[in-house]
Amino acid sequence: MPELSAITSAFGDALTLHSIGIIFGGVLLGYLVGVIPGLNRSVAIAIAIPLTFYMSAYAAIAFLIGLSKGTAAGSAVSAILLNTPGEPSSAATCLDGYPMAKSGQPRKALKIGLLASVIGDLLSTLLLIVVVIPFASIALKFGPYELAAILIFALVFIAGMAGGSFLKGMAAGGMGVILGTVGLDPETGAMRFTFGYAELMEGVPILPLVIGTLALSEMFVQLDEYRRTKGGNSVRLGNNPDDDLSFSEFKKTLPTIFKSTGVGAFVGALPGLGPSVGSFMSYGLAKRGAKDPDSFGKGNPNGIAAAEAADNAVIPASYIPLFGLGIPGSVSAALLVGAFMIHGIQVGPLMLRDHPQMLFTLFAGMVIASLVMLAIGWYGLRLFAKVTDVPQHIVIPVVIFLCLAGIQVQGYGTFGLLVVFGFAIFGYFLKKFDYSFVTFLVAFIVTPMLEMNLRQSVILSGGDIGILLQRPIALFFVIATGLMVLHLMWSSYRLYRQRRRLLSS
Amino acid sequence: MKNTRLHTALLAAALTVGVGTAQADDFPSKPLTLVVGFGAGGSTDIQARVLANVLEEELGQPVNVVNQPGAGGGVALTRLTNSQDEGYTFAFGTSMTITYGPLATETAYQPDDFRYVAGVTLGQSAIVTGEGRPFGDSWESLIEYARENPGTSYATQTALDRMIIEYISQQEELDLRIVPTSGGAGMAPLILSGDVDFAYSGGTHSGYAESGEMPVLLSLAEDRLVAFPEAPTLREAGYDINPAEIRVVMVPQNTPDSHVERLAVALEAATQDERFIEITEERILMPVVYLPEEEVTETLRSQTESYKALLEELGGVPDADE
Amino acid sequence: MTPEPHLQRKNLWSGLGVTLFASWLLVWLIPRYGGSGISFGMHPQRLATLGAWVMFLCAAALAIISLIQLKKQRVPLIKAPSLTVVWHQAWPFLYVLFFISLVIFLPLTWLAPFIVGTLVVMLGERRWYIVLLTAAIPTAALYLLTVHLMRIGVV
Repeated sequence: MPELSAITSAFGDALTLHSIGIIFGGVLLGYLVGVIPGLNRSVAIAIAIPLTFYMSAYAAIAFLIGLSKGTAAGSAVSAILLNTPGEPSSAATCLDGYPMAKSGQPRKALKIGLLASVIGDLLSTLLLIVVVIPFASIALKFGPYELAAILIFALVFIAGMAGGSFLKGMAAGGMGVILGTVGLDPETGAMRFTFGYAELMEGVPILPLVIGTLALSEMFVQLDEYRRTKGGNSVRLGNNPDDDLSFSEFKKTLPTIFKSTGVGAFVGALPGLGPSVGSFMSYGLAKRGAKDPDSFGKGNPNGIAAAEAADNAVIPASYIPLFGLGIPGSVSAALLVGAFMIHGIQVGPLMLRDHPQMLFTLFAGMVIASLVMLAIGWYGLRLFAKVTDVPQHIVIPVVIFLCLAGIQVQGYGTFGLLVVFGFAIFGYFLKKFDYSFVTFLVAFIVTPMLEMNLRQSVILSGGDIGILLQRPIALFFVIATGLMVLHLMWSSYRLYRQRRRLLSS
Repeated sequence: MKNTRLHTALLAAALTVGVGTAQADDFPSKPLTLVVGFGAGGSTDIQARVLANVLEEELGQPVNVVNQPGAGGGVALTRLTNSQDEGYTFAFGTSMTITYGPLATETAYQPDDFRYVAGVTLGQSAIVTGEGRPFGDSWESLIEYARENPGTSYATQTALDRMIIEYISQQEELDLRIVPTSGGAGMAPLILSGDVDFAYSGGTHSGYAESGEMPVLLSLAEDRLVAFPEAPTLREAGYDINPAEIRVVMVPQNTPDSHVERLAVALEAATQDERFIEITEERILMPVVYLPEEEVTETLRSQTESYKALLEELGGVPDADE
Repeated sequence: MTPEPHLQRKNLWSGLGVTLFASWLLVWLIPRYGGSGISFGMHPQRLATLGAWVMFLCAAALAIISLIQLKKQRVPLIKAPSLTVVWHQAWPFLYVLFFISLVIFLPLTWLAPFIVGTLVVMLGERRWYIVLLTAAIPTAALYLLTVHLMRIGVV
C-alpha cells in the first residue's frame, strides 16, 4: 500500500505549472476535437502520439489522457447545437440536447451537458484510483498461467461485445494476433515476417499501424460519407436571459447524473463495450426510471445528463483493466499502451511496484484534468459554439495531411508513408465491412504479452494441461472463455431468429 | 532512411553558417549526435542523456541524443556503420550488441566496423533467484538441487545468457526448463511469485539489494558485484567465460584519429563528472570506469573469441538446436 | 447475423475474401516467412498459425451462414455496385497515393500546401482566402516543427 507522503508528493508533482499546462493543452485540444464533427477521439490520439515523443513519459501520458477526456466532454457541444454527435458516443445526447437547444435554451443544455460530463468523469476517476491499487496488488501475484488465461478471455470477450458480429470480431482478432507476432521470436530469436527489414525486427511499428488504420482510413470513410450529408443547421447561442442554468434545475438532474455515472463506470470497466453502449444504456435506464418518460426525446434535461455522465464515466473506468492488468479494453486504452511502450514503460500492475510515483502523479493529473475540463467548458462555451461551424471539407484535408506529416516527421520516410497507406486500405475495409476494429487493435497490442505468457506456461508445465487443476484462477478463466463462446453463438442465433420473425411479420 | 531528403533544403538553409570551415583540428565545430540503440526511458537512455549533457560542456558543442531502438541495439549500429560523419555521430551502447550480436544473428555490422573510443560503465548482470527457495541462495546448492530435480526452471532474457546457461547445464549435466521472458519487468514477477526457480537479471536485482527479495547466485561481471559481494563470479564458480558487459562509446572505423582522441579526452573527463557518476552509480547502480580504447577493444575481441569457442562446443547457435 | 439481404451480401463476400486471405496465409506466407527453429515451448509459427485458423474458421462460417440465408430468401448473391460508387470510394485513395509517390522526389514541406489546398478546392471550397489559409497554416507548422527538430537533432 502506498504511503500518504507518496500520494501528497504525487499531487505536488501534478500541480506544477508545467504539468497543469500540459494537461490544459491536452484537454483543450480534446475539447476542440470533440466539438468538430468528423474528428474523433482515436483519430486525435493517433495523430497526437508523434507530438508526445519529445515530452517526458509523464507529460506524454497526461497529455493523451487529458485529450481523451476532453473529447468526451466536447462532443456534447456539437450534439446539442448541430444534432451531429462529435463522437459516436454522444449520439444519445442529441436525443434531448438538440430539441432543447432548438426550443431556445442552448446555453442551458450545454451547461447541463458539461456539468454531467465533469461529474461523471471526476467520480469515475476517483473510482479508478480506489479500485486499481488493490486490484493491481492482487494481479501482481498472477503467474503466466493466469495471465495467459485472462488475456484469452479478454480477447474473446471483446470480440463478442464490441462489434455486431462475434464471428467478424474473432476474424479481426485473428488478424491482430498474426500482425502481433511479427518480429523476433522471443524464444528462438527467429525472424518472423520481417522480409529482411531491420525495422520490423521489434514488431510492426505501432505508429504507422495506428495512424493508417485509425486516422487515415477514417478520413477516407468520411470523404465517402461527406457527399451524402452536406450541411446542417446549427443553433446559435443568443443572449436570451431565460437561457441559463439555475442551481435548482441542476440539483434536479443530480440523481440521474450519479446513477448514470455508475452505469458508465460499470460498462467502462468491462473491456470492449465502449462509451456508446454506456451512454445509450444509461439513457434507456433514465427514461425507464423517470416519472415522465414521454418528455424524453423532447428536451428533458435528465436525458442530456444521463447520456453525458455515462459517456464520460466510461473513459476513466476503462483504464481499470489497463492499469490493473495491463489489458487495454478500448481503442483509446490500446493507444495509451502504445504511448507507454514508446516511452519505455510497461503498463500494468508492475507500474505500482516499479513506477509508483509516476502512477500516482498520473492519477493526480487525471483529477486535475476533470477540473480543467470544467473551466475550459464553462468559459469557452461561446468559442466552442463557434467551432461547430468549422466545415468538414476543411477538416478532412488537414487531417489527411497531418497523418502523412506525423509519419514523415518520425523519420519513417517514403517506406513509412506506403505502410501507412496500406494500413489505411486495411482499416477502410474493416470499417466498411463492419469488422470489429477494437478487437483487431487490442489483439495486436496484447499479442506479445499473450505469446510470452503462453510460452512460459507451456515450458514451465512441460506441456501438461493438468497443471490447470493447481491453478484455480487460470482454470476459471479457461472455462469461462469456453462458456462465453457457446453463449455468444447461442445468443446471436436467437437474435437472428427474432430479427427474422420481425421482418417476416 | 529517406527522410534526409525531406530536410535537404532545410539543412542547407539552417546549417550553411559555420559548416564549411570544419577541419580536423577544431573538431568539434558543429553539433554532435549521440545515438542510443534502446528506447527512451530505459537505463541506457537515461545514462546517455546525462552523458550528452556532460560532453556538451567538455566539447563546447551541443550533443543531441537520438534513440534508434531495435534488435537489442543492432538497428542503431547498422545505421552507424554507414555514417561518414567523421565522429560527429557516435553511439553509446552495450558490448553485448557488438560481441554476441553478430554471432547469434545475421547482422549488417561486424565488431571491426567500429572504433571503441572508451568504456565508461561496467554492467552488473547476474544470475538471481528468489526468497525462500529450497536451495537457499548459493550456487552450489542450486546445482545440487537441479541435478536431483529435472525440470528446474530458468528464465532467460538474452541470447547470450541463454548460451551461458546451456553451457553450464551441459557441464553440470542438468535438465533445465528454460523460459523466455522480456526485460527485467518480465523477469521480476516470475522470480518474486516463485513460478521460476532462478533467472538472468540485467540490473533489476540491484533495486532489490536492500529488501533481499532477489538474492544473487552468480555474478556475470568480471568481478563480484558491488551490491552483492558474497556471490562468486562465473570464473570463481568454475566456468571459463567472461561475459562482462561494458557500456562503450563507439564511432565508425573510418573516423580520423584526431577526432577519436578528442572524444576520448572528453569522455575521460565525463567519467569524473559528478552528474554522470551520480546517475550511474546511484540510480542505475553500476560502477563508472574509464577504459581506454586499446583496453576495451582487446576485451571485446577476446570476448568474441570465447563466445565463438563456446558456440562451437555447444554445436552451433543454441537457439537452433535443443 | 442479420437477415437483411444487403448486409448478408456484405458478410458473404467479405467472409469469402477473408477466408481466401487466411488460407493464403496458412498455406504460403506463414510456413515460408513465419520463422523456423525448434523450440521447447511453442514453435515460432504456432501463434500466427492459430490466428490464421481463427480467421479462416470464423470467416468461412460467416460466409456459409450468409450464403444459406441469401439462398433461403431467394435474393441474388451478386449485386455489383455501380461504377460511380466505386469511383467515389476510390478517388481519395488515388489522391493520397499520388502525393505519396511525389514525396519520393520532393520534400513533403513543399508538397504540403498542394495536398491540403487541392483537396479543399475539390471538396467545393471557392473562397480563395480560406483555401490559402488552410493550405498555409499546416505547411508553416510542419516547417517550424522540422526546423525545431533539426535544431535539437532528432532528424
